[in-house]
Amino acid sequence: MIEIRQLHKSFGSLEVLKNIDLTVSAGEVTVIMGPSGSGKSTLLRCINRLEDITSGTVIVDGYDVTDKATDINFIRTEAGMVFQQFNLFPHMTTLGNVTLGPLKVRKMNRKEAENLGRELLAKVGLKDKADTYPDHLSGGQKQRVAIARALALKPKVILFDEPTSALDPELVGEVLDVMKQLGREGMTMVVVTHEMGFAREVADRVIFMDGGDLHSSAA
Amino acid sequence: MGTGFEFKFSVIWESIPILLTGVKLTIFITAFGLLLGFLLGTITGLMKISRNPLIRRMGGFYVESVRGTPLMVQVMFIYFGLPLAVGTRIPPIVAGITAIGINSGAYIAEIVRGTFQSIERGQTEAGRSIGLTHFQTLYYVVWPQAFKRMIPPLGNQFIISLKDTSLLVVVGVGELTRTGQEIIAANFRAFEVWLAVAVMYFIMTMSIAKVLNIIERKLEI
Repeated sequence: MIEIRQLHKSFGSLEVLKNIDLTVSAGEVTVIMGPSGSGKSTLLRCINRLEDITSGTVIVDGYDVTDKATDINFIRTEAGMVFQQFNLFPHMTTLGNVTLGPLKVRKMNRKEAENLGRELLAKVGLKDKADTYPDHLSGGQKQRVAIARALALKPKVILFDEPTSALDPELVGEVLDVMKQLGREGMTMVVVTHEMGFAREVADRVIFMDGGDLHSSAA
Repeated sequence: MGTGFEFKFSVIWESIPILLTGVKLTIFITAFGLLLGFLLGTITGLMKISRNPLIRRMGGFYVESVRGTPLMVQVMFIYFGLPLAVGTRIPPIVAGITAIGINSGAYIAEIVRGTFQSIERGQTEAGRSIGLTHFQTLYYVVWPQAFKRMIPPLGNQFIISLKDTSLLVVVGVGELTRTGQEIIAANFRAFEVWLAVAVMYFIMTMSIAKVLNIIERKLEI
């Protein structure tokens, strides 16, 4: 599903990722752990090219992300992303957030998109919040909407960038529950997190990063 | 203490119909000038945040050169100067609308640039992450949020531009200030007429402020 070969990434003279090789198979839940500044988030953001890649190859579902000829917007629909800070669109209802991609990228008609949107909001336990604006949601609810928004494009893989790090402790569980369910349903997931419990319970593989290197991986 | 001055309300009363023709023209020039300014400002404001350095510099040149010269000079350049170079005369109203448009456009460009840049980076990333193109992200995600933040500074600029139309007296556009001058030339009642003119400007600027206030509240969620 994802194949990363000899990936280097530098910000100026600072080398953030050093020669990363990583393969993620379909249906696999890969958890990346490691101290702050070790390059975990950057690695994740190289997969959908939110960060430019300095050298090396990243292949997502057979498409070379680093190839100029690849339609990067297409890759991003294949590899959805959930952010630490949720990044919901505050000027749209939760349903608006979830349906924007299907409407504008997948060119679905409104009725179809809204049916899909409501279905996904129900899946993340927010069926009755379709017409609510993000400002009126708790952090946990926001993150579940963000997961629904990523799912709406029917991606082949979802990248989670510290999805519970900005949450109050009592709200972490509801987000992890949704992620566990996705994992059990066979969604391919790459998760940057500090949640040991989640890693133990759901991960097929745990990778430790330090100083821009992949240190070890454990099953 | 006899200044011999006696306030005559009847002077104001009699001036109102003529002054209102000036008000109409002031509103007309302001409306079309700001429409032009908003268009120019949006385009050049976005040019200033383009990833292409040449486009960025072109936007910057427009803003700096307009902001750095007085409106009065711009008006006279457009009305008296340009026709000599181009070879055709421009009607004063067209010159006025053009001047107000070009002038306000430079300030609106900075408003557009500032508000677009004030939208958190995460919003753009979220837009791109669901497969929207750069342009779609600007249009569906950044623009609506930036627009809300634009309203207070835009209101300022609208009010400034409306008052700036009074400078068009120099090219003989019959807007409010000009009609006031003409009435005074005939009756010498400077106190009453300028007072009436001032009140009319005040009513117009207050109306702009009120309307924008309502829009701002409507956009509140």
